[in-house]
Amino acid sequence: MDFDAIVVGGGHAGIEAAMALCKLGYSTMMITQNLDTIGKMSCNPAIGGMAKGNMVREIDALGGWMGKLIDATMIQFRILNRRKGPAVQSPRAQADKIKYQLYAKQVLEKEPRLRLFMDTVVDFIHEEVAPKDGIRSSKRITGVITERGHQICAKAVVLTTGTFLNGRIFVGEHSASSGRLGEPAALGLDQGLRKLGFSLGRMKTGTPARIHRDSIDFSRVEEQWGDSEVVPFSFDASPLRQEQVACYITYTNPSTHQIIKNNMHRSPLYSGKIEGIGPRYCPSIEDKVVKFPTRDRHQIFIEPEGADTKEMYLNGVSSSLPEDVQTSFIHTLAGLEEAVIMRPGYAVEYDFMDPSQLYPNLETKLLSGLFVAGQTNGTSGYEEAAAQGLVAGLNAGRYLAGEPAFLLTRAEAYIGVMIDDLVTLGTKEPYRMFTSRAEHRISLRHDSADLRLFERAREIGMHDDAAWKNFLQKKEGMLSIKDSLAQRRLSEADVAGKELKINVDEIFPKDKAYGKTFWQLLKSPLVDLETLRSLDPQCFGDFPLDWYRQVELDVKYEGYVVRQEQQIVRFNRMEHMRVPADFDYQGITGLSNEAREKFLKITPLSIGQAGRIPGVRNADLALLMVAVARRPGQEALDRSLSEDFLQASKTFEEVTIGSDDGDL
Amino acid sequence: MINSSKIQDGLIMSLASPVGVSALAIIRCSGAACVETLAASFSRPKALNAAQGKQMVYGMLLDQTGLVLDEVLCAVFRQPASYTGEEMVEISAHGSPAGVEAICQHLLRIGFRQAQGGEFTLRAFINGKLDLSRAEAVNEVIAAQTRKAHALAMHRLGGAVERTINLHKKALTQLMAMVSIQLDYPEEEIEEIHLPLNIIQGERDALDALAQTYKSGKIYQQGVRIALAGRTNAGKSSLFNVLVREERAIVSDIHGTTRDWIEAPYSLDGIPIRLFDTAGLRQAREWVEQEGIRRSGMVIENAGLIIYVVDGCVGLDAEELDFLEQLKQKKQTAIVVWSKSDAAGWKAPEPARLFGHELVALSTQTLAGLNELLKSLTLNIGAELSSEDNEVLIDSQRQHLLLQQAVASLDQVMEAVEANLSMDLIALDLQNALQALGEITGEVSNEDVLDVVFGNFCVGK
Repeated sequence: MDFDAIVVGGGHAGIEAAMALCKLGYSTMMITQNLDTIGKMSCNPAIGGMAKGNMVREIDALGGWMGKLIDATMIQFRILNRRKGPAVQSPRAQADKIKYQLYAKQVLEKEPRLRLFMDTVVDFIHEEVAPKDGIRSSKRITGVITERGHQICAKAVVLTTGTFLNGRIFVGEHSASSGRLGEPAALGLDQGLRKLGFSLGRMKTGTPARIHRDSIDFSRVEEQWGDSEVVPFSFDASPLRQEQVACYITYTNPSTHQIIKNNMHRSPLYSGKIEGIGPRYCPSIEDKVVKFPTRDRHQIFIEPEGADTKEMYLNGVSSSLPEDVQTSFIHTLAGLEEAVIMRPGYAVEYDFMDPSQLYPNLETKLLSGLFVAGQTNGTSGYEEAAAQGLVAGLNAGRYLAGEPAFLLTRAEAYIGVMIDDLVTLGTKEPYRMFTSRAEHRISLRHDSADLRLFERAREIGMHDDAAWKNFLQKKEGMLSIKDSLAQRRLSEADVAGKELKINVDEIFPKDKAYGKTFWQLLKSPLVDLETLRSLDPQCFGDFPLDWYRQVELDVKYEGYVVRQEQQIVRFNRMEHMRVPADFDYQGITGLSNEAREKFLKITPLSIGQAGRIPGVRNADLALLMVAVARRPGQEALDRSLSEDFLQASKTFEEVTIGSDDGDL
Repeated sequence: MINSSKIQDGLIMSLASPVGVSALAIIRCSGAACVETLAASFSRPKALNAAQGKQMVYGMLLDQTGLVLDEVLCAVFRQPASYTGEEMVEISAHGSPAGVEAICQHLLRIGFRQAQGGEFTLRAFINGKLDLSRAEAVNEVIAAQTRKAHALAMHRLGGAVERTINLHKKALTQLMAMVSIQLDYPEEEIEEIHLPLNIIQGERDALDALAQTYKSGKIYQQGVRIALAGRTNAGKSSLFNVLVREERAIVSDIHGTTRDWIEAPYSLDGIPIRLFDTAGLRQAREWVEQEGIRRSGMVIENAGLIIYVVDGCVGLDAEELDFLEQLKQKKQTAIVVWSKSDAAGWKAPEPARLFGHELVALSTQTLAGLNELLKSLTLNIGAELSSEDNEVLIDSQRQHLLLQQAVASLDQVMEAVEANLSMDLIALDLQNALQALGEITGEVSNEDVLDVVFGNFCVGK
């Protein structure tokens, strides 16, 4: 073997996969088509946002890199939805794209177990595995073949092709084989995948034009600054280095829409040249104009691509219209009348693999040792890609060690929700993470990602001792804050003669407020922890601010958290009833043919997952439970199995909407 | 949160022999520590606790005051050597329906609950007590019966209930969509919305009203329990026979002729009725009668409507006044029948002494007043029922519980909206409400699988 593992692709998924494999001790080769575009942000210059920000923090809690990369290179930071509830608050940062990319490459270069190599993978090498116990023979990956004829061997391969697999870009009438403007597509590998029996589909995504900063009339656009206080994504708080900058806002108007309408026939989206399915939530400006004819304006964010470049990203006008049309409609926007376009917006169409061909560890069902992550699986977004890359890398490592898969449930992490959705439901359009996809979102706050996941990652070797010690300190610190809140009671002396933000009499009748614990007081919407701390600073120790914030949310929403946790306990019962991957569905008497086919296709690994497969009926699930429990050598089913039998199932249809500019 | 789950750990019991008069009745009990629980109501607790598996223990089953319920034989089965694989006791008791009912009532009081259809078998299955061939047989039954039961349930659901629930689900889904948008997009991109409280309130009330129909639905399915009560020799049994139009109860002038309650089915304007004659209330002279009176008391307590018969020649005594007042306090509806209106010495009652209960003067000889009584019965039962024939009725306990869950969740939604709590918190309860409704129509998979699967086994098996 040349390497333990090979990672194909150097994007956001590839970076995490490679670094995770190295962290777990495996010699790894990353093969990329272009060493200069490692970690490149092909579309918007931002990391995080609703639900996505939570995932970045989860990646960090699991020992991944995205949080650290963006912390070091962000040029604007905001917590979205500060006014809304705790579950929908999420961090988002504008990245200095160039710095981000360079830093990512540096991190990879410094990793001693990692070899970087520039080439294009065109096929896989694999071997047959002798049939075991008379069940069926299987295939196992042993390496890859590159365009320049190298045969490189490894027992595990993580495939992260992004938009490059058979990529084709469109700008109006112009179209060319390309994975990103100016970069060649990866050709040939799709044939390798089809040969192995994988089914591939087409998807498309788009990106807006970039304009020259000096061509903007800043007097005609709104300025938007970030938060003054920056909360790092990484729990291993690294010092921030970049100066913060502003973004700008402008709006489309009826004449913008008119120009687009007049030229619709020249859009490859509407002329039928693009067959791939695009994201509904991040529509091109053409889509928005067609689908929301009554809106007379759409919000456009003008975002700097970095501190060392004058390129500005026009968030909200993703388009594949011809360049002359793009230029004319951009010139109708206030402040952009003289805008100079440096790169046109374009659409890219690419091959993806139906993710229902994967197990939840992101390993393919058809070829052992082949893991797939990122846009190849039909997702969109840097964060979605990185999260999958990490999970694929981790599990490739577990596979090499012969250890059981590392899986996250829907109740543990947004990452768990995403992967469960992908492998159970598949996807027909680019999948983006949404808060509403997570049933247990109250427990999936971004600030609690470390408390949810750190320990699990530590168990499998993703955190070293120093990080672990820091984590334990935080845990203890938060406990001590909570202890103080529960013990400390309000007395008249606390309040007497002090100028407070709060009026105690207002919150509680005087005789009732005194004697109450600070914990009880904190539950009032009128009281915050900062005020309580000011009453007795010594009592609450001297910890980082975010620890207090986290405690505050825990206490304030205790009732909801408890209820959510009760739901999770019930949910977990179903998740913990395992179904073997090679389970013999043919042997189940009475199963409907539809259910049998679906079970065979999805191969659910738990009863919970089986229940989420669309079209599976209760009776089928009952039969599956009976069969799984009765299979030879199986211990008696968990006695409580039947309680809340299908709690795990999805409760309502995913609500899809077409909102203005979704990709923020 | 209400636990709608049918299957859980806990003590279950059920009559395993057929209902009705027989020489012996067998009551099956299962669950961890079920021997210990029973021993506390047993005349020989030590012997029962010390019993090994498959051993019979003789003794008296006692109620909480120490009174003997019945002389029984307890067959003890130790885990896992039992039908369910749990600790079990099979109680062999005497076969009088009244006696068995008393034992069952007592078991419910000391921590058992009524097993539901197939629950013993389900537990056996869960505990791996069914061997492979049995399991396969069960499989086939499941396969066949779930389809059938599913079809049956669908048939029922195909009607009004499903349409109604789907309507509410649609409304709540729309609310959920509003909330989801707030959850998924940052505040700068979308306008903040306020959930329409009036719509939520409307949905809540409608679902609550639907849940309320459970009582009516149950009545249609199981019948209204009407109990005849009164002092001895007031004429209860005569009236009972008149109402059921046959000589069911023994009628005599001897006080205390009816020593235990008897029951007869009866139908009034298409509404099924279970009519109970009870032992007359008086200071009983001997144990058997005492016992009869005590059991009758339970029947009266559980009745939906009481016909209180007063001997029109004697009138109400202090004890009876007390009884009527208690009924009023317990909000139990009673119709007071002033009997023997044809007899000499009959005197009309003083209305003030009736505590607001309705009065009918009646003669079981001439049948004068009978129509009046029937009309009054119909009216009173009608009040229990919802008025219109074509109204949607809920008739399963599961549906009822799920509706209650949905209502409780919507209450919490409204509370949260009023308290100006954030959308993510509101979403939690709204989601719960939707889930409960989804479980009713079966579109969302849930535990009712097991109702379907195991509900077709006969109870006690």
